[in-house]
Amino acid sequence: MNGTTQPLITVDKVNKRFGTHHVLRDVSTHFNAGEVAVIVGASGSGKSTLLRTLNRLETHDSGRIVVDGIEVNDDQKQLDALRAEVGMVFQQFNLFPHLTVTENVMLAPRRVRKMKRDEAHHCAMELLDRVGLKAHAHKHPFALSGGQQQRVAIARALAMKPRVMLFDEPTSALDPEMVKEVLDVMKQLAKSGMTMLVVTHEMGFAREVGDRILFFDQGRIACDAPPEKFFGAQDNPRIRAFLGQIVH
Amino acid sequence: MTLSMVHWPASWSRQQRSSATMMTAVVVLCVLLWLLALPLQQVSNPIGNNAQYFAEGARVTVQLTVISGVAGVLLGVLAALGKTSRFVPLRWVASLYIWVIRGTPLLVQVLFVFFALPSLIPVLQLTDFSSACVALALNVGAYNAEAIRSGLLAVPKGQVEAARSLGLSRWFTFVDITFPQAFKIALPPLVNNIVALLKDSSLAYAIGVVELTNIGNRIQAATFQPLPILATTATIYLVLTTVLTQISNAVERRFDVEGKLQ
Repeated sequence: MNGTTQPLITVDKVNKRFGTHHVLRDVSTHFNAGEVAVIVGASGSGKSTLLRTLNRLETHDSGRIVVDGIEVNDDQKQLDALRAEVGMVFQQFNLFPHLTVTENVMLAPRRVRKMKRDEAHHCAMELLDRVGLKAHAHKHPFALSGGQQQRVAIARALAMKPRVMLFDEPTSALDPEMVKEVLDVMKQLAKSGMTMLVVTHEMGFAREVGDRILFFDQGRIACDAPPEKFFGAQDNPRIRAFLGQIVH
Repeated sequence: MTLSMVHWPASWSRQQRSSATMMTAVVVLCVLLWLLALPLQQVSNPIGNNAQYFAEGARVTVQLTVISGVAGVLLGVLAALGKTSRFVPLRWVASLYIWVIRGTPLLVQVLFVFFALPSLIPVLQLTDFSSACVALALNVGAYNAEAIRSGLLAVPKGQVEAARSLGLSRWFTFVDITFPQAFKIALPPLVNNIVALLKDSSLAYAIGVVELTNIGNRIQAATFQPLPILATTATIYLVLTTVLTQISNAVERRFDVEGKLQ
């Protein structure tokens, strides 16, 4: 925590429609620095959409979003500055297939932060070491397993030294045996004090690492509680039903 | 015809082999154009005594191809960007260009640039060679545009999202992420277009450019020996397209990080 009372991210009465489908309905919340918020809910409940509106990969129809003092709107300059401060990890990794692992990690610091090649390379190797992939630095993404690719994607996002990291179902496209290695990197990141917003179906991770659990239901935040309360005696029938389906 | 890839030392990386092939092919092309007359002189008449003319014709053909090929790729990129632009008038201009060029014969375009354009805009009174270059570049550019556009559309949306989410500007997203991947996808159809261009450059004959086909026909008319003359002309084209294919194969290999090409 940095001690300020100002939240890092403020979401105020945000609405979003895809055609007739009302994905986000008057969503209001805020996220503080150093907090790990885990967002859960059925698919189509709007959790990924909320995450994607925070760095404007999706536009919102109404309401306000402020990230680190920057209003999220169509101002392109402001938007590039905002995105440099907000790291994102995708379900499908989205590594750049024509670049090596190191080049994937180095690209944004060099282009956006204007970092020198040597310095960027040094930082990239440090980060790759941190996610346990230093030995694979020279390879292209196709030569890595899904779990390794996702760890590179995390290193790539961290290379920009973001103030907050968004994780959009980071383990949903992985084979079961690779989920752990990615979650371990995320746990380590949470311990280091990184502000994280994680959309996931990994309830074990949510319970262990999350400071807050936000439960999305039909475009609204139906519950916002600490994990012990969320997973404890739950009186909301929809959450009970959801947990019943997820936790076997 | 990719034999030359195989002969490089096994310890060399894909990039090194690709560079070696490209360099070799370019050198071979230059030497070929420079010294083409020498082997031809060894052949019996009417080839031997006209060797210098064949060599000169081949040089002009390659010049036409290289100049209009480079211009055509640039035009193709611009037109493809125009056609995928969010700015509607730009899309309209690019579509009009592609529609007109693909819908009319190349021969008409060559004749148009040389004969009709000056009466429309007097400043554009170009030499026969320049006219041929302009017409060929415009022509191949339209076909390249469609090849590059298909490449641009084939790059997954997630790539752009990942680049933008890292804070990369639109420009760097295009230069570093979208274009290299699109170009790789567009490369085989682009090579097709360039090989076709080399052969289509023979249409410059119609406005009097003294390129390979023109030379062949002149000698044939003077000697009344069509078989050896036209066979030689065809053989030189075949050699040129073969060297060109070697270069383009090497370029393809350079982009083939996954080792899909064997």
